[in-house]
Amino acid sequence: MNSPLPQAHGLTVLIAEDGAADRLLLSSIVQRQGHKVLLACNGAEAVELFRQQRPQLVLMDGLMPVMDGFEATRQIKALAGEVLVPVIFLTSLNHADALTRTLEAGGDDVLIKPYNPLLLAAKITVMDRLRRLQETVLQQRDLIARHNEYLLNEQRVAKAVFDRVAHSGCLSAPNIRYRQSPYALFNGDLLLAAYTPSGDTHVLLADFTGHGLPAAIGAMPLSEVFYSMTTKGYGLGEMLREMNAKLKRILPVDMFCCATLVCVSAQRRSVEVWSGGMPDGYLQARAAGQRTPLISQHVPLGVLKAKAFDHSTQVLPMHPGDQLFLLTDGVTETIGPDDQLFGVERLQRVLDSNREPQQLIDEVEQALRDFQGRTRDDVSMVLITSQLPEHPGMPVMLYTDSGQCSPLDWSASFEFRASTLQQFNPLPYLLHLLMEVHGLRAQGAVIHSVLSELYSNALEHGVLGLDSRLKRDAEGFTRYYRLRNQRLAELQRGFVRVSMQVMPCPRGGRLTLDVEDSGQGFDVAKMMARPLELDRFSGRGLNLVRQLCPAARWSEEGRKSTVEFSWEALA
Amino acid sequence: MAVTSHVSNDGNKLTIAIKGRFDFSKHQEFREAYEKCSLKSPQVVVDLKEATYLDSSALGMLLLLRDHAGGDESDVRVVNSNSDVRKVLAISNFDKLFDIN
Amino acid sequence: MSEIHMDQQVISSLREVMEGGFAELLDTFLLDSEERIGQLHNAHEARDLTLVAHSFKGSSSNMGAIRLAQLCGQLEERAQKKQLAGIEELVIKIDDEYQMVRQLYRAERQRVAASSFASGG
Repeated sequence: MNSPLPQAHGLTVLIAEDGAADRLLLSSIVQRQGHKVLLACNGAEAVELFRQQRPQLVLMDGLMPVMDGFEATRQIKALAGEVLVPVIFLTSLNHADALTRTLEAGGDDVLIKPYNPLLLAAKITVMDRLRRLQETVLQQRDLIARHNEYLLNEQRVAKAVFDRVAHSGCLSAPNIRYRQSPYALFNGDLLLAAYTPSGDTHVLLADFTGHGLPAAIGAMPLSEVFYSMTTKGYGLGEMLREMNAKLKRILPVDMFCCATLVCVSAQRRSVEVWSGGMPDGYLQARAAGQRTPLISQHVPLGVLKAKAFDHSTQVLPMHPGDQLFLLTDGVTETIGPDDQLFGVERLQRVLDSNREPQQLIDEVEQALRDFQGRTRDDVSMVLITSQLPEHPGMPVMLYTDSGQCSPLDWSASFEFRASTLQQFNPLPYLLHLLMEVHGLRAQGAVIHSVLSELYSNALEHGVLGLDSRLKRDAEGFTRYYRLRNQRLAELQRGFVRVSMQVMPCPRGGRLTLDVEDSGQGFDVAKMMARPLELDRFSGRGLNLVRQLCPAARWSEEGRKSTVEFSWEALA
Repeated sequence: MAVTSHVSNDGNKLTIAIKGRFDFSKHQEFREAYEKCSLKSPQVVVDLKEATYLDSSALGMLLLLRDHAGGDESDVRVVNSNSDVRKVLAISNFDKLFDIN
Repeated sequence: MSEIHMDQQVISSLREVMEGGFAELLDTFLLDSEERIGQLHNAHEARDLTLVAHSFKGSSSNMGAIRLAQLCGQLEERAQKKQLAGIEELVIKIDDEYQMVRQLYRAERQRVAASSFASGG
């Protein structure tokens, strides 16, 4: 045989032909070429044989009694489904319309009578090659489908894990509203919220560059740092340094994390903000009807080495009822018709027209829909309302140790001097030490609030000599914190001393805390004579302390403050 | 070519020019532009005169270039950016990493 | 219209293809053809006539009975177009041609039997 094709053999070939002589001739030719033959005298027999034995190839006469070849072909093709079973029509018709009919019925080729054995062998070989090609395509398709299914499943699992990581904080608190598109986290958006021990709210909105798993990987260490450090009472600066260092270490050079981290303190009527690489957020003062943009002032997390990283924050006045609106660039970069971006101006128009703050997120979403933007899967928004806790120290810290070894009779004293005050926050350590005393744990949040206030008063008013009256208005507030940072950076001398004394009592115990500073002190009698006014900026700290600890007292001309906490023996 | 590059006559300055959208699709070309030439004193200029848009993956590419050119000791300038591109660079405060004019 | 009753070229290639099955093929063809002739005479509808003529045309052409195949082709075409006037004349022509074909193919069958007897003997 001169055919350039390697000849197919070993197939099962169904021959449907009503002429006995033709059937005999064809089956001889086909068998001699090494194939197994099934014989049918009409279309109905052919369909039945196909159903039973699934031959790989069919030679089909067109005109036959009972059921013609066209109908039989349609039925066989339907039975074969997506597997290619080539049907070669046998015909003495050679009019174009007759040939067309065979193809319309699903025929793959035509063999014209009288039969030429060589031509038939070649046609069978070509059809077999087509059949195998189709088989390979189907196998590969199924393989790809399986891989894809596998991948999607992995993504679902990963998403479930990350959703848990990202939503284990206090996002469900009544003063937080947020919206994230379902796969936003998987596209690199992360939203975390948690209470500090003293009842402030920390919120982190972050946006990793890139998409999918690589982007979401960074979410793990970030939330780990966020939750553990927030719970332990660390401030934003320390958390930011830790987050930046961790991300710098694990992320490839071209990946980074844009982030806004805020601490909303209703008690102190303030919000502390750090933002790197995020679109402007907005602080909305309810009473004044004023909107202040929170502009990104830093390089995103994970880019700079620890030495170059700048964790300095901005502190702004934020009264109970004021709102903070943060968003990721999925909002402003939603693309509308003609490739236009939704943009900051459109967003600001929505903010302008907003009447009911609780509706703001819905209104922004509606505006994005009206813009007919292609829906992006990385849209995140959060609205935080400053809200005084029902009673200070709402969050109750949970401890897992047995409570059997609690230190009950000890004292310690610390003196933090200038260079330490500049870069170290001792509060988490002091709090941790105190919480080893089990009887104090129930009051942990109050102790943390009071200790924080006494420490920052000692540092800011005492050591740095800042006048709290500066904080009377918003402008002064900003000036106050600018001065604070400036004086702290230039600090040469001064100290804050913290002494703690724990003593057992007949039915429980008592903690005495002294906080002393190297500053000028103040007129204690005058301060104590003032009524407690909770809604003022200035002097906030002392008011808060007096409210939480009615027995607080000041000595050494205001340079030393003393508070006591006692507890009843645990049952 | 959407990314073109040339080295100054004294061999001290590599200029990479981007045309059109500067996004992930330029990743390969952009990297090849600075990897193919080894400079002795690597001053690199990224010319964005004809760049219409810049996304976060482009920022990542600039960081890779900076890293390649010596990290903190590198001298990478980003020039001729239009106002949209400048906005993106400003939000990320990349002026703290690159000489942007 | 071809005058070839039995194409020797086709016959020799069939002999080659069928090898030992050639005699059986000839028998089958003749038996099948007798049946077709009977069906032609008994056909009452144009549709039946078309179908029989079509099958007969196919097997004749495969067997190299070229004139017979052509006559069947004519019959099929006229039956299909329902031009039935004078169709009996054409059926008689097919009858006559088949008589000729039968003689030639029987003779061929004899030759095969003789040669296989000779070679097989």
